[in-house]
Amino acid sequence: MKRFFLIILFFFTACGLVFGAGSPEQGEPDWLAMNFDQIERAARSTKVSFYMWGGSSIINKWIDTYVTGELKMRYEIELERVPMDASVFVNKLLTEKQAGKERGTIDLLWINGENYKNAYEASLLFGPITPLLPNYGKYVDEKTVEFDFGFPVNGYEVPYGRAQFVFEYDSARIKDPPDTFEKLLLWVKQNPGRFTYPQPPDFTGSAFIRQVFYALTGGHEQYLTGWDKELFQRKSRLLWDYFNEMKPYLWQKGKTYPKDVASLDTLFARGEVDFNMTYHQAHAQNAILTGQYKESVRTIVMRDGSIYNTHFTAIPFNAPNKPGALVTANFLLSFEAQYSKNDPANWGDFTVLDLNRLSREERELFKTLDLGQATLPVDVLAQHAVPEIRAEYLEALEKGWEEHVLRQ
Amino acid sequence: MRDRAVVYLKLSPLLLPFAVIFSTGIFLAFLQSLGYFLPIPVQGGLFAAYRSLFRSLWFYQDFAFTLYCAFCSALLSVSVGTALAYGIWRLPIGLQKIGVLTKIPLILPHIAVAFIVLMFFSKTGYISSFLFQAGIIESAEEFPPILFGGRGWGIILAYVYKEVPFVVLLVSSVLKKFEYARILTAQMLGASRLTVFFRVVFPFLTPVVNTSFIILFLYSFGAFDIPFLLGESHPGMLSIQVYNLYFKRDLMNRPSAMAILVVMFLFSLVFIYLYSRLAARLEREGRKL
Repeated sequence: MKRFFLIILFFFTACGLVFGAGSPEQGEPDWLAMNFDQIERAARSTKVSFYMWGGSSIINKWIDTYVTGELKMRYEIELERVPMDASVFVNKLLTEKQAGKERGTIDLLWINGENYKNAYEASLLFGPITPLLPNYGKYVDEKTVEFDFGFPVNGYEVPYGRAQFVFEYDSARIKDPPDTFEKLLLWVKQNPGRFTYPQPPDFTGSAFIRQVFYALTGGHEQYLTGWDKELFQRKSRLLWDYFNEMKPYLWQKGKTYPKDVASLDTLFARGEVDFNMTYHQAHAQNAILTGQYKESVRTIVMRDGSIYNTHFTAIPFNAPNKPGALVTANFLLSFEAQYSKNDPANWGDFTVLDLNRLSREERELFKTLDLGQATLPVDVLAQHAVPEIRAEYLEALEKGWEEHVLRQ
Repeated sequence: MRDRAVVYLKLSPLLLPFAVIFSTGIFLAFLQSLGYFLPIPVQGGLFAAYRSLFRSLWFYQDFAFTLYCAFCSALLSVSVGTALAYGIWRLPIGLQKIGVLTKIPLILPHIAVAFIVLMFFSKTGYISSFLFQAGIIESAEEFPPILFGGRGWGIILAYVYKEVPFVVLLVSSVLKKFEYARILTAQMLGASRLTVFFRVVFPFLTPVVNTSFIILFLYSFGAFDIPFLLGESHPGMLSIQVYNLYFKRDLMNRPSAMAILVVMFLFSLVFIYLYSRLAARLEREGRKL
């Protein structure tokens, strides 16, 4: 028994050593107090580690070729792309914070939504950084990027791109796809086994149920002002009824759902279901260009609402190369980078720049950009665009879906 | 006493990191399940996570489903593996090399095995395509929902494929020590083939069968990779629920994720204890007979 206590004692001392370790970085300059010239000088010939979701080969390629090349040429910055899910790097940072690690490995993050809220609330981010970036002041309309899923950005995130939710279908198979959520329910009932959605809390599946929530309960406006539990409980019943009515007609009779959007992609590409969904308006065009999809695949939005979001870059509290990260974030906001990113051959992600603040030639370039036949025109997308919901609703929807739909 | 201390001291470079890392993990998980060491403060009091867990029907359903998957895959693996090992052992020496074939899945990672099962058994997989080409089914839709059908067959299939060779390996090494003459004696006394196996060989194998059952059962009870690819939504495997709560949902769910892990750990301890007690008693009674 004595030995047992000795071992325990020993183990706690060891724990203390592990957690006490990691002395604070000495004399890191106060980057927030500097001007951009000084930052740029400090960033020259450094290495930047960009942690980002790596699930799209076309996006990865754009980062590895265009962005890496430009950064090298302009600032001699060496960009290293590290593929990692946002939730995973947020957890990595949480652990580093708890362990008191003042010098981490991540310089720049690609982040938004719940992950941003989690990171911000746990003080994992460095900032406010947007006032430092010249391109932010020059091109961005601050009002359009004030909130990230209803959570204030406060200058801790740099806008990066904009994406909108669309459905994908094969126009050779389906001539007249449903264009409202009511019609979608009817279609699913008439075509049992041919539709499903990724299981929330998957990012895309969760966005899908949010849109249905808006559409069935009278629009998004009522949820933007703040979290109202009573309102949610009253309204969400309609949503659970809708999904429970749909459930027996889903793929595998609704007994199971694809665990994430990648699994749904596979089902759709193999023809096991007739619809795919994506939070990336140019995904279908990308997939046609790379030969994964047939030429006849098209996209559609539901007329009663299609969610869009802004995604951002941010810098962790313990980024080893903060000036390099700031310069990279600023470059990603330049006209050239945003324009290149908007091209469906590169990525097809929409710009966050305010077109009115660009020069006339630049504006024309954006307006005449060919988005591809599978991508909906910008004005059609804009006409049905609805904003993201606050994180409290998001959490309640995911939890409620599990309780009232999945486990019914 | 001093000798033992010396042995412990000599082993400490190995034991210490193991003990520290393992127990720190368990200890931190337990503290976080109670609401300490969390990235953001969580309300509700000490045992709030456990209370809400034990009050949710889904937790019991998922727990039962996880037990069922683990039990079926361990039982099937052990039975098939033992029979196979015995069969190979009884082959003439020259033919025993065939046994190498069974070792292939041993070197595959679990995730690769999950992919193989996915490619073969899904509705549009290889088997379905073959049956379609052969004209046995008329469309992919007719292929039975083996995967994602709500019964965990995909998971069980993958585990059995992966674990049978493991059992073969363990059982074969024990069989090598078995005296073949005992089988001949039994046969001379008129024992049938089944009697030989069950009354003469199997009692000799029970320790290794029990050990491999415990290892396989607990592994499938807690593992993540195969359920991640082949798992079903509801009821689902506990490891996947933990993953979702920990990684994909709001930070305030972290105590719940940790509470599930702690419950799973405690269950594993209790299971090992009960199983070894039971196995020991059965063995004693077996000897009395």
